[in-house]
Amino acid sequence: MAGLSISSVTKRFGETEVLKGVTLDVADAEFVSLVGPSGCGKSTLLRIIAGLEDPTSGDIAIDGKAVTGTRAADRNLSMVFQSYALYPHLTVAENIAVPLRMRSLSAVQRLPLIGPFLPGAKEQRSEIATAVQSATEMLEIGPLLDRKPGQLSGGQRQRVALGRALVRDPAAFLLDEPLSNLDAKLRVQTRAEIAQLHRRLKATFIYVTHDQVEAMTMSDRIAVMMGGEILQCDAPSVIYEDPSNIRVAEFIGSPKINILPVELANTEMTLFGRVLGYITEAAQAGIYQLGLRPEALKLTQAAPVVTGTVAHMENLGSEVYAQIALANQTSRVTLRAAPAERRNLRLGAEVGLGFSLKDGLIFDADGKRQRRVEVAVTHEREVA
Amino acid sequence: MAEIDASIAARKPQEVNRQARTAWGLATPALALMFLILLVPVVVAGVLSFTNYSLGNSGFDWVGFKNFDRLFSRSTYEKMFIATFTYVVVVVPISVALGLGAALLVNSLGRIGDVYKTIYFLPVMATLLAMAIVWEFMLHPTIGVINQTFEMSCGTILEVIPFLANGCADGFPLWLGDRDYAIWVLCFIGIWQGFGFNMVLYLAGLTAVHRELYHAAEMDGAKSAWERFRLVTWPALGPTTVFVVTISCIRAFQVFDTVEAFWPQGGGPNKSTYVMMFAIFEKGVQQNLIGIGSAITMLFLVFVMFLTLIQRWLVERKVHYG
Repeated sequence: MAGLSISSVTKRFGETEVLKGVTLDVADAEFVSLVGPSGCGKSTLLRIIAGLEDPTSGDIAIDGKAVTGTRAADRNLSMVFQSYALYPHLTVAENIAVPLRMRSLSAVQRLPLIGPFLPGAKEQRSEIATAVQSATEMLEIGPLLDRKPGQLSGGQRQRVALGRALVRDPAAFLLDEPLSNLDAKLRVQTRAEIAQLHRRLKATFIYVTHDQVEAMTMSDRIAVMMGGEILQCDAPSVIYEDPSNIRVAEFIGSPKINILPVELANTEMTLFGRVLGYITEAAQAGIYQLGLRPEALKLTQAAPVVTGTVAHMENLGSEVYAQIALANQTSRVTLRAAPAERRNLRLGAEVGLGFSLKDGLIFDADGKRQRRVEVAVTHEREVA
Repeated sequence: MAEIDASIAARKPQEVNRQARTAWGLATPALALMFLILLVPVVVAGVLSFTNYSLGNSGFDWVGFKNFDRLFSRSTYEKMFIATFTYVVVVVPISVALGLGAALLVNSLGRIGDVYKTIYFLPVMATLLAMAIVWEFMLHPTIGVINQTFEMSCGTILEVIPFLANGCADGFPLWLGDRDYAIWVLCFIGIWQGFGFNMVLYLAGLTAVHRELYHAAEMDGAKSAWERFRLVTWPALGPTTVFVVTISCIRAFQVFDTVEAFWPQGGGPNKSTYVMMFAIFEKGVQQNLIGIGSAITMLFLVFVMFLTLIQRWLVERKVHYG
């Protein structure tokens, strides 16, 4: 087990720059997710770490040793592929044994007929069998050992691919969207199992996904990637509560964060012409963006900050999401409400919304988080 | 409820009958054609192989197994078997291996691969009969390009090679007229002509190999090209290989046009290239001995059928599909 360090890695495919100088340090036994929309370069980064692709510039080091020029087979990493990439002609047991056979048996010892009778082969073969046995026990796929991948379900194949990755003791595990081919229910279950596996193995995991829920639930840290860059790399709670960029705030969180335009002039912050509060520290006047999570918005009748009509409702049972079309505005905001409030939220009903400015995230016009802009709230405006 | 069930049950057999009649009616023309064109000729050939029938005769005599007995006792037919099996045993493995090798090489190239593909496929597209004439010129003992090229080496350092030394001293082989060389020349041309076809089949097979499997093999520690081939490519090509081998075998058994072009009179020097197809043609068509011709045909069918069955069995046991 070892840490990993990626320093200013770039990758170009012809004219297209897929990675624009990515730097990331992963500590030993850490679970880091690379998350971002399709085409953000996360899979390319993973393949560069694995050694399946060469970076245009930059360095990769595993456990302090530079491996940039080293081929994938010599980097001692394990990878789980999106398509699982199981060898279709081998049984489950043989599939899991492949990494060990390739590494511990010589080419002659692997020969089909005479191989088993060569000196030393017998002990090594029994060692491999033991390792396969313990891997399959860990993943509970013992009964499937003699089947071929074609006879397995998606979830079972996924387990076999995991088994093949963890049968030896790699420096780190690389997982490339391993859950994306599973159905929703199985995904939730496997998510928990992978997280448990990580705790049990105490191994370094790098996990690529486009699904923010997977990233939020499993990771120690999330690296949010967009347009070939890591925008922010922090613990899931920090990423959610304290994003440093409006694109991070918009990508993480479901439903999406509400963005409202606010204006700052003469120490006054206004939203749609209404004064929200006063800034304590001098900040440049201009247009800013106020980010409000759906749970930060509250239904209120007394002195609402904004009003609107209910345009769409999604009832999930434990909570209700309502899209509110703001009065005199083209934009909509999403509100999370408790089921008890459902009777106030009929389609077309007029509602008033309030929020606490403490929950608001202020970004400048370019989307950069403005942590220094602090707003002192006037008492009569605060509605909670 | 019970009444309704009963009425359905009563109506059902009638309906099934009607559907079955329609189905048979629709299938009859196809079935009739199949019997008439595909099966009847085989049965007729089978029947004729037990007679001494000749085309134009008003009748024939049943001769029992005499035709078959002759096939296994006369030395001409012994030579026929030797020539045919030599050809199959040499041409099939080499043309399959070359086809696979060429496909792997072409597949690893980018756009330039298309050029190679076309070049290797040229002999397949060209008529073998026309090509045979060109080969005949090239292989001519005195004025052919091949022997003239060999003669150029006489008196040079290249004479250390025993073949060239012997040739310069005693004359180069007659090739098509030499009973030791004729069958090998035939094999060579068969391979030259056939491997491009196998290459194309293998290229099609290679497109179906999942790219990510190679990455998985690399991650699993398969470092050499041979290890990746053994782990990923070869198993994935299993179905293609079975097909390519079957097709190559059948084509090899059917070799005829080269023999007919080179040795229209009697199957090569000392009958060394007297292959089955040529024997059928010579007996059945040229000499109008339909009985013995049919007997060879039946034997030919048995061989091909046997091969197909072996391959079928292999497919079911070993080869992984999907």
